[in-house]
Amino acid sequence: MRPGILLLCIGLAATSVFASAGAVRGEANPVFTKANEDYAAERFQEAIEGYQSLVESGQRSANLFYNLGNAWFRLGNFGEAILNYERALALEPHHPESEANLRVARDEARALELRKSAVERYLEAGTPTQYSILAAISFWLALFAAARLFFLRRRSGTLVTLAIVSAGFGAGAIWALYALETGSKGKALAIVTGKDVEAKLATADNANSVLALPPGSEIKVLNQRGDWVYAALPNDLRGWIPAKSAERVRMDAL
Amino acid sequence: MRRAERISREAATRIFIAAILLLLPGVEVSAATPTVTAVLDNSNTAVGQPVQIQIKIVGASDARAPGEIVVDGLEIRYSGKSQLVEGRNFQFTQSLIYSYTVMPLKAGTFKIPAQAIQAGGTTLRTPELTLQVSDSGPRSSRGGRTNEPIDPSKIAFVELILSKSNAYVGEMLPAVVRLGFNVRTPVESLGNGVEITGQGFTTQKMREPRQTIETINGRTYQTFTFKTAISPARSGRIEIGPVQVNPVVRIPRTTRNPGIPRDLFDLNDPFMDNFFRDPSFAPSSPHELKLKSEPVTLEVKAVPPNAPAGFGGAVGNFTLTVDAKPKSAKVGDPFTVTATLHGRGNFDRVTAPVFEDERGWHKYPPSADFKQDDDVGISGAKTFETVLSPNERKENIPAQLFAFFDPVKEQYVTLRGDPIPVRVEGGAAPSPSPSASVAQIPAVAPAASPASAIKPQGILHQLDFGTSRQTFVPLFARRSFWLAQLLPLLALLVFVAWKLRQAHLQNRDAQRLEALQHEAADLQRSLRRSDATPQEYFARASRAVQLKAALAKNLDPNAVDAEVAASAFRADEETRARLRRLFEKSDEARYSGGQNGIRLVPPESRKEVLDLIENLRA
Repeated sequence: MRPGILLLCIGLAATSVFASAGAVRGEANPVFTKANEDYAAERFQEAIEGYQSLVESGQRSANLFYNLGNAWFRLGNFGEAILNYERALALEPHHPESEANLRVARDEARALELRKSAVERYLEAGTPTQYSILAAISFWLALFAAARLFFLRRRSGTLVTLAIVSAGFGAGAIWALYALETGSKGKALAIVTGKDVEAKLATADNANSVLALPPGSEIKVLNQRGDWVYAALPNDLRGWIPAKSAERVRMDAL
Repeated sequence: MRRAERISREAATRIFIAAILLLLPGVEVSAATPTVTAVLDNSNTAVGQPVQIQIKIVGASDARAPGEIVVDGLEIRYSGKSQLVEGRNFQFTQSLIYSYTVMPLKAGTFKIPAQAIQAGGTTLRTPELTLQVSDSGPRSSRGGRTNEPIDPSKIAFVELILSKSNAYVGEMLPAVVRLGFNVRTPVESLGNGVEITGQGFTTQKMREPRQTIETINGRTYQTFTFKTAISPARSGRIEIGPVQVNPVVRIPRTTRNPGIPRDLFDLNDPFMDNFFRDPSFAPSSPHELKLKSEPVTLEVKAVPPNAPAGFGGAVGNFTLTVDAKPKSAKVGDPFTVTATLHGRGNFDRVTAPVFEDERGWHKYPPSADFKQDDDVGISGAKTFETVLSPNERKENIPAQLFAFFDPVKEQYVTLRGDPIPVRVEGGAAPSPSPSASVAQIPAVAPAASPASAIKPQGILHQLDFGTSRQTFVPLFARRSFWLAQLLPLLALLVFVAWKLRQAHLQNRDAQRLEALQHEAADLQRSLRRSDATPQEYFARASRAVQLKAALAKNLDPNAVDAEVAASAFRADEETRARLRRLFEKSDEARYSGGQNGIRLVPPESRKEVLDLIENLRA
């Protein structure tokens, strides 16, 4: 039993270590520093270019997107500002500065938000990373407990309980991950960045309008056809908008 | 009694009269001399226009008419026979009528010769008849068969009636088109329908007409009344109409020939007369009429130039009612605001009322639904539903304004629906709203503030670089996550392998112990028997002690001697000494043969050894 527990602890610890890999404290970046100086000097366009170059080089961080959002905000482009705040929150779901500035930008832009379900609001207490780790640990705990039970001559009530509870936690964590990924803040979340954007009933400029979308409004991309995307809109509506009028929050990996 | 007598007397009288009536004709017919006449229904005709010959034999119950009448240029065919009984002053006469159809094959004057008729045992002769046949059709002077042009005004009329002669541009004017047809010329169809010609106005689609029978100037007309509405599109004098319609009517043909008596047999039967005069039964032919009404002139004025904000071209008289559902919601949740415009006017130009102050609200395009309560859509109620979503806390849904031009008052009117109290929870406090006025209606879409208006302190400060190279890929989708799972997997596999080996080893020890126990039990049984030599007996006894000690302490039995066995069983000095002696005797018997010559072990010695072995307890 003791060697088994030791091995389990080693495995779970390794999982956590691997899971948190990638969030490495960065050294002072000269481009970033220069962009911050441009921002402080109210040269917002130059600051945006500096931040953007870092984004394109793959050095992405919540703070970088937050600063970029601030620069767009100061230029009055609330759509881009909200997009970058959302990206910062996608990287760090509880990034406090991004949350605060996002609220201000939304109020200024009168941006529309997707309606969250009650379950989604509850699940947002955790992050996808936390749910992933919980799912992995629960899975392995349940498996080790089952293995131990298999080799025992007499069933242990504690082990049975541990196996069942762990399996339940694992299933719950996987369901939470699925709900968050397919929810309003999931992988399909996009932000309207264009101006005077109207969702249409069909993929034509002269089609009937479904909803006027102020910059910064949230949409959930459901499908893409050519230059148009079919999206779930605020107020439980659906419609087509030009693909260039919105950007997904989650950027593709470089 | 008197009544019964009267009834029986009346019945007898009736029977008597009936018998007389039945007998008299026979007497009369048999008494009368048969006579014969022959007539043409028209003595003038044209080639291809048939006429009829009727030969009437009076006073004969049976006759033999000619089967065939031959005249060159005429084709005469027998077409039927009928009987007629006439009574005058109780004198009854029976007649036989034979009909022939005469088809002229060529023009000219033809004489139809007298025909011999056998009737009542005598031979009668018809008069000779003369028929004039021309190449063309009969002339107009001959009566009904005429192609002279028909005057439509004597058959039908059409008129356009407008409710007023002055109007404003966009005003809806009820209009009525009346179409009448003389009942003697029943209408077969209205052709392509009623069309109001002219320019500078629009008309509503006409619905199915209402049909009535009216008497106008002593004539009875079947009238069709169409209702519509006309809306002038420009100012100035506009000529509405004329209304044009090309109906098809059935005009009866005159079938009576003035050359013959009105009633061929001079019966003067009013039923027969009315029957044949009824246009429904009289032969008729369809004719298309071209009817045109008089145009109506309309003086049209433009609406005054000082139109209020929000005026969308509505002209008429309207009232506004507003409502909203639900009455409370959270910030961002929708309210459905309903505005209903009742009244009379050009509803096609009635647009949704505008909100007095839209700050703090997000407005969605309204939907409209019109329910008319008349035939032409001038009167009714138009309902607009607008979805409003509050961006902040609000206490009222803003007032709605609707402007229209009243042609009766000749001025603009702005209706204002009261603000609707609602409760909005959550969100920020309402921003101070500018003073709203009818003339300054805010833009529908909320505009973003310009960059210069952004307050720097409105957002938090910049941050340092922080962690680098973060990724949007969720943890569970990363390769490192799945690689990390290899470690617990490996640990699980090691654990399982270790447990399996442990089980295997435990299984081998168990087998060894079982063999030792089995051997020990066999030795115990053999020690109780008296058939062993001392050499065998003491060897078995020492082996039994070794096995017992090995089983007790999980030792190798071959490594157990007297001292080890004594220690294993924590034996006292006496037992230890006895164990030593047992092992010595065993060695002595095995190696020196000192026990040779003794055939069996004495019972006392066997008992002593057995006691020793059985009393060994771990």
